[in-house]
Amino acid sequence: MTLTALPETIPIVHAPAGCVGSITWTQNGGSGLQVGGYCGGMSVPSTNVQERDVIFGGNERLHEQIKTTLEVMEGKLFVVITGCVTELIGDDVRSEVSEFRKDGVAIVAAETGGFKGNSYDGYDIVMQSLAKDYVKPCQTKRKGKVNILGIVPYMDVFWRGNLEGVRKLLAKLNLDVNTFFTPEDTLEGLENSASAELNIVVSSSYGIEAAKTYEEVHGIPYLTTGLPIGPTATDRFLREIARVLSLDRAWVERVIAEENRVYYSYMDTLVDCYNDLDLQKYAVVIGDANYAPAITEFLADDLGWLPELVVFTDQIKEGQEDLFEDLLENLESGLKPNLIFETNTSQVIGHLNRLYPKNGSHKYVKTFSPAFVVGSSFDRELALAIKAPHLSVTFPVANRAVLDRGYTGYRGGLRLAEDLLSAVVVGR
Amino acid sequence: MTYLDSKEPPKREQRLKACISYAGTVCGMANKTKNCSLNDGERSFSQGSICLLLPALAMINSLPDNVTILHAAIGCGSCAHSQNANARSGGSVRWGQVKDALWLSTALNESDVIGGGEDKLERAIIEADVLYRPATITVVAGCVPGIIGDDIDGVVERIQPRISARLIPVHCEGFKTKIWATAYDAVYHGLGRKLLEEPEPDKLLIYDEFEEAKEKVRRGKTVNLMNVSSMGRGDELELTRLLNALGLEVNIFPVFARQEEMYKVTQAALSVSTCPTHDDYFVKYLEEKFNIPYLLKHMPIGIENTSLWVKEIACFFGLAELADKLLSEETAELKVALEEFLPLFQGKTVFVGAGEFRALATARLLQELGFEVVGIRSYHHDEFAVGEYEKLAASSPKDFVLNIANVQPFEEANLLRKLQPDVFLGHWNGNGTAAKLGIATHVIYNTGLGYIGYSGVYELARRLARQLKNPLFNRKLKKHVSLPYAEQWYDSDPFKYIKAQGDDDNA
Repeated sequence: MTLTALPETIPIVHAPAGCVGSITWTQNGGSGLQVGGYCGGMSVPSTNVQERDVIFGGNERLHEQIKTTLEVMEGKLFVVITGCVTELIGDDVRSEVSEFRKDGVAIVAAETGGFKGNSYDGYDIVMQSLAKDYVKPCQTKRKGKVNILGIVPYMDVFWRGNLEGVRKLLAKLNLDVNTFFTPEDTLEGLENSASAELNIVVSSSYGIEAAKTYEEVHGIPYLTTGLPIGPTATDRFLREIARVLSLDRAWVERVIAEENRVYYSYMDTLVDCYNDLDLQKYAVVIGDANYAPAITEFLADDLGWLPELVVFTDQIKEGQEDLFEDLLENLESGLKPNLIFETNTSQVIGHLNRLYPKNGSHKYVKTFSPAFVVGSSFDRELALAIKAPHLSVTFPVANRAVLDRGYTGYRGGLRLAEDLLSAVVVGR
Repeated sequence: MTYLDSKEPPKREQRLKACISYAGTVCGMANKTKNCSLNDGERSFSQGSICLLLPALAMINSLPDNVTILHAAIGCGSCAHSQNANARSGGSVRWGQVKDALWLSTALNESDVIGGGEDKLERAIIEADVLYRPATITVVAGCVPGIIGDDIDGVVERIQPRISARLIPVHCEGFKTKIWATAYDAVYHGLGRKLLEEPEPDKLLIYDEFEEAKEKVRRGKTVNLMNVSSMGRGDELELTRLLNALGLEVNIFPVFARQEEMYKVTQAALSVSTCPTHDDYFVKYLEEKFNIPYLLKHMPIGIENTSLWVKEIACFFGLAELADKLLSEETAELKVALEEFLPLFQGKTVFVGAGEFRALATARLLQELGFEVVGIRSYHHDEFAVGEYEKLAASSPKDFVLNIANVQPFEEANLLRKLQPDVFLGHWNGNGTAAKLGIATHVIYNTGLGYIGYSGVYELARRLARQLKNPLFNRKLKKHVSLPYAEQWYDSDPFKYIKAQGDDDNA
């Protein structure tokens, strides 16, 4: 998914035929109606290895496929990625690829066999390979140039809007921002990304391995920040970057003040209805490691809601729970949401029932109402069960059409407020 | 001894000599030997495709009260995100309940790959059984267990006594077959082996001979209507309506079939396929094992094919006269309704790409509407479609190109640029190429839309008229969006990369 989102890039999948289709179908169902891209969907070249290759090895087939791909496809960068089968049978993809590199072909390999992890891991693996084998070494760093990592295309359904939001925001600090994956980005941006003075990883989980590789190979330090959604998180985000890049403090504060003024002049007109319609809600927030903390903070500290239950849906490695718990330790509102790790979202209702037991016989009951569910389209059943409105933000987003919408920055906070509140008043 | 006595079904390239690489013409194919022994070639350049896991999951995830466990790496089965929309809407229109399909994964990781994943699967089955209390748990094997040697049948057999759900193993190791239609065999295989047992009859205090006799008559007039996962409820209702008009009852199987009623498929008087490619494995099994004859010839898409389909069933039951009357009324009514669209379609050229039978039957339908078919791409080829090629060859004034390809949009792009058809009809996730070339497009199946029977003809005509009335979205796409192919590719032979069997590998 990462590769199909890069400009002028042709992925070559070394795997059985179904892997490409599976990704295409996944996007079709889960990524807000976004499938494909320039060379994505069913257009992705693939060796379609079969039983015969499993027995005799797939290298010969890969060699042939790379050769013909260079004839048929129009691209500036070719990236061979592997599937479970070709890794298990031990195909030597790197040596195959290096032969073509010797002839001057811009081609890179990454071992992405599915048993190594999920699509978020795939992003890191691919970005690491590109950082090592494609990005041009550059000793002199350019002042004010930064790369953005940590947003995984298609798995973050709002990836383009979110990256654009971060770029526009940082442009206000006069930074030159390379986001790799938006329509404004070019492959040259990736190729020349080693001249950045800082990598900003807008995630506490994704993109960190890639940032480490950039640090090792290209000497670029990195900063992890979490996804900045809404004014509170964005204020902090800008101050942190200003600190690390030693920007003029007073000037950054002026930018922050101006952005807040704009944000709140939009909010100004909402005030009457926010009160009249009693739009403050309890909330369940279900999401990946980027969205769960970012949305929780926005709800708690910008919108003034009560996110009581926060569900992280990532597969968390043992011992890493603390890392995620810390993300929600210091909410300005002082709220302490219940935090759970649950990869199976159909089980969230059980957790909610434990927090808010149903005491039907009592006259006075502290119910979980009025409530809102922010999660994925899987959480519609939960919302239905607790009679709450719902918004799909985290993957899968089957029930929304997404093009350039994003939730990062101050503007993103306004978008998210619009979408949440629209879901509340849809029947008005 | 039937195929269902073994753990896994044979792959279709062996059982049927099915193939995925061929370039020729419709008349050329129609003149091939009847038993269709094309020697399949290979492509030296290929694009991704789908594997049997995808259509298999589409069927399995439709089953109510089922939990699917993918025994695979975590990415396998994520295709179900798309298919879940069908599970939700299909459940809603059938029994008024919107419910997500439940698919879990053992998410095999690096240590499982080394140490084996059978224990993990066992734990997953127990957990799913306790958490959801489903009627069935379908255990679907992806590629990884096929290579590391996990025995899912062994696990299922070992653990079934401790599990309240009925366990159904389904083999979908994608690297083992290039013919994804093997999926249908794989699912039927699992259902056939595990779910057709008739429940113990209630012990009645008074034995009712009359009831018994009534039941016998009813069974004698019941048809197994084999549906496909690409068919919506509207299409099922259309076929049910036509069969009911002949006084027949239908038992719809297997998509969205309820587990507790599946045994009924063994008690019908006749099995009727709606897509021969889909059903041959199972209807032949029903005949062998339960003496239920079958019809496996036509797909009820288009006026002529729908009529042939109904007529064949009617003849089996000795209802030919009744059918003639019904069909002449139906077709007369339809033709009047279609009149307003025909001038718009007259002489327009069309290209069709999809699963073989669907593509061919739809092409024939389009001819009936006045379109000129200028090309067909079938996603694979097997013997069942021979009759369809003959029909098309006979009804086409000019011969036209036929390409057998498991998707492969690069061949499609090349052909479409040369042929410039007015309309293109393509598979799910298969219209992008044509759309970006500026051609008016329409999806060839979508379970929310009607395609089948007489009503399908009308609805498709109505939608095509809509597409032709305003194809500007695609026209503008063409101006601003490019396909990923090198310019010289469009000047090449579209079938340059198909190597006939026996060709030198480096040719």
